[in-house]
Amino acid sequence: MLKAAYRIAWKDVMGDLRRRATLSSMVFFAISVLVVFQAAFEPDRLEAARLLPGLLWTTLLFTSLVGLGRVFQAEEEDGAFEGLLMAAVPRGVVFFGKWWGNLFLTSLVVAILLPLTLVLFNVDAWEKIPAILGILFLGTLGLTGLGVLLAAMTQAARSRETLLALLLLPLVAPLLIAGVQATGAVLGNGGEAGPWLRLLLIFDVVYLALSPWAFGWLVEE
Amino acid sequence: MKKIQRPLGIGALVLLMIGMYLVIQAPADFQQGNSVRILFIHVPSAKMALLTYIVLTISSIMFLWKRNETADIIADAAAPVGAAFTAVTLATGSIWGKPMWGTWWAWDARLTSMLVLLIIYMGLMALRNAMDDPQKGARATAVLAIIGAVDLPIIHFSVTWWRTLHQPPSFQGSKGGIHIAGPLLTPLLVMAVAFILLGAYLVTLKSREVAAQRDLAAKDADAAMEELHD
Repeated sequence: MLKAAYRIAWKDVMGDLRRRATLSSMVFFAISVLVVFQAAFEPDRLEAARLLPGLLWTTLLFTSLVGLGRVFQAEEEDGAFEGLLMAAVPRGVVFFGKWWGNLFLTSLVVAILLPLTLVLFNVDAWEKIPAILGILFLGTLGLTGLGVLLAAMTQAARSRETLLALLLLPLVAPLLIAGVQATGAVLGNGGEAGPWLRLLLIFDVVYLALSPWAFGWLVEE
Repeated sequence: MKKIQRPLGIGALVLLMIGMYLVIQAPADFQQGNSVRILFIHVPSAKMALLTYIVLTISSIMFLWKRNETADIIADAAAPVGAAFTAVTLATGSIWGKPMWGTWWAWDARLTSMLVLLIIYMGLMALRNAMDDPQKGARATAVLAIIGAVDLPIIHFSVTWWRTLHQPPSFQGSKGGIHIAGPLLTPLLVMAVAFILLGAYLVTLKSREVAAQRDLAAKDADAAMEELHD
């Protein structure tokens, strides 16, 4: 079972790394967002330290939309989605495969995004990188879980990328709040990280438990 | 549907008229003055915004579970009605907030979750409209409604932690009692019942419209098929 999910994820990740399609566009999109933020807010060192959690999370959120828009694109182009669904495994396993592929790519982007932001915005928080990476990864779990489900939902819709953003952004509001607050707490902007991490975990558990079932209902023929 | 529509409409109209009369008769609040009167629309409409979402979620579950087309029609009809109640809640809250809080809008917990609820209602309508295949659209919308139902408590609970300015709920205080003076409570209850009837009436009306449109679309498709055969 898990092996089937792993194979789907492997196919997606390898295909993407060979064509350098999603990963590179996500990374360059993230850099563009950072440039736009810098041009719009022109933060000095102190302001940058205060803005950093919000910067990281909004950039991650917008960048994840780029990746999510392509989760089912390869199957769509080749008309292979029905084939994937005919695989002799439960639909939930297909969901996990798709999710793992997206999770892997988004986590890579996160790992590049964090040091890049610290350098570009001149924030001295190098010793806190492991803690912040941990929080970002915890958020990425729920973000990609819900995101892949919504990508499946909007796959057959007209103007699906707009619709995906319209649906995802309000639904991940709790994750964004919890992520920003927890990151801020770790950076010493005040507050405690504990309760916010718990909220992130609740979000992750709820969506990763719900999504495989919901995916099954969505693609049922 | 058609049979209950008229009694619901008449009941809603009569109760709304009685309720408005009671609201005008009620004494002004000693702190809020006449501004308090807008709450007789604001509070029932906020309750209806949530109640409509509950109805929408139950119909969505029934549709996914039993493949019941009527359930899907009700879910389809409930979305715009709920969105309207949510918009009325936000608008009346804003009008009340300007003299009372000194601002039209604040990123308070309940305002934020109401705004997100409005976006979710809009998302439900947009998703259904964006699907060419009505069957797929119905299924996707039903799943989205359930995700929204799971998310709304999490959103509410996260923004409550985040920031709170809104006063404690009018109906259940921290001790679970009702702390509104009698002369204001009666009109509020009448308005609440009137809004429930109004909501039921609007959903019935919209359901009939949706059902008629679907019939028409099916007939159009049949006619097109026959033309192809001829």
